[in-house]
Amino acid sequence: MNPEPFMRLMCLGCGFSYDEALGLPEHGLAPGTRWADIPETWVCPDCGTPKHMFEMVFIGYAEGGSDLASAA
Amino acid sequence: MSKSFIIRDHERGHDTIRSDGTRSSYIAGHPDGFVTRASSFNFHDYQSGRPGFGPVRVFGDEIFHGAGCGYNMHPHHNFVICAFVFEGQLTHINTAGEGMVDQLRAGDYYVFSAGSGGKHSELSVTSEDMHAIYLWLMPRQLFLPPTYHRAHFDYRRRRNTIVQLVGDADTALPIPQDLRVSRLMADAGRSFTYTLRSRGHGAYIFVREGSATVDGVALGRRDSAGFSDRDDPAITIDIGEDDSDIIVVETIMIDDDNIKAWEHDHAGH
Repeated sequence: MNPEPFMRLMCLGCGFSYDEALGLPEHGLAPGTRWADIPETWVCPDCGTPKHMFEMVFIGYAEGGSDLASAA
Repeated sequence: MSKSFIIRDHERGHDTIRSDGTRSSYIAGHPDGFVTRASSFNFHDYQSGRPGFGPVRVFGDEIFHGAGCGYNMHPHHNFVICAFVFEGQLTHINTAGEGMVDQLRAGDYYVFSAGSGGKHSELSVTSEDMHAIYLWLMPRQLFLPPTYHRAHFDYRRRRNTIVQLVGDADTALPIPQDLRVSRLMADAGRSFTYTLRSRGHGAYIFVREGSATVDGVALGRRDSAGFSDRDDPAITIDIGEDDSDIIVVETIMIDDDNIKAWEHDHAGH
């Protein structure tokens, strides 16, 4: 088994990021929730941009950033 | 292989966004305020154009009409947002760090890196229309500490020379990305060369006022062109009219699957 690496995505409306590894516990998405398993009707919790207007990114966190992201 | 594209003024996404109905929570200045926005790249309702250029996702040529018009407080993360003011007065308020209230006039510009999060509001508080170009780009790292920097471009003293406003030059505003924004105000008959940093860098060149022939391509007011993957790093800019005003965004061309897919589907565009 070689699981797919976790993806990071950024909202093109406001820059809010979704990290599959971290999920969004504050918004009911457990860590490890795959992007594909989030309903298509889901929208950015900050700005309401639809799910299809998020873009996958390959950008690392600044120091301490992943802790802040998991609490977003 | 060298790649280029042209976006004519009318090919941009042209939107008028009024401060009414549900939009009045987003657009300030109800009932008379409205924003006109010409987007070079896909943004909000405009989704039929190019997705971006390198890490750049928004190049918005905007006018706030009516006293009190602009954008009410709304949140951002990660995006680095730059504004360059050309007419009128822009009041910028952000909650990042200690918070900031700033007023920008013609020639002033800022770099707001939203990083780990902050809200901002952009308002024109005088009766004069406010004209600014907004540039948004993806940062080098996610959840950076938010920052705000601002400066002024003095066109009287910096004429007929390419001036780097944002980037790594002395006195340029710092930005957390391999990207430089330069401005050239110049007169008819003058010729300039913009030299790209490396083969991995490209340039998006926007003619705000006047006209210019850029790498052999004739560009009028509000036309623009992008150049990347060039054999020759030198891009020639021949100025067509007095008081021409050219914006050059040079950036690392990140390996972006969305942009590649779009270019594949729109080959020859």
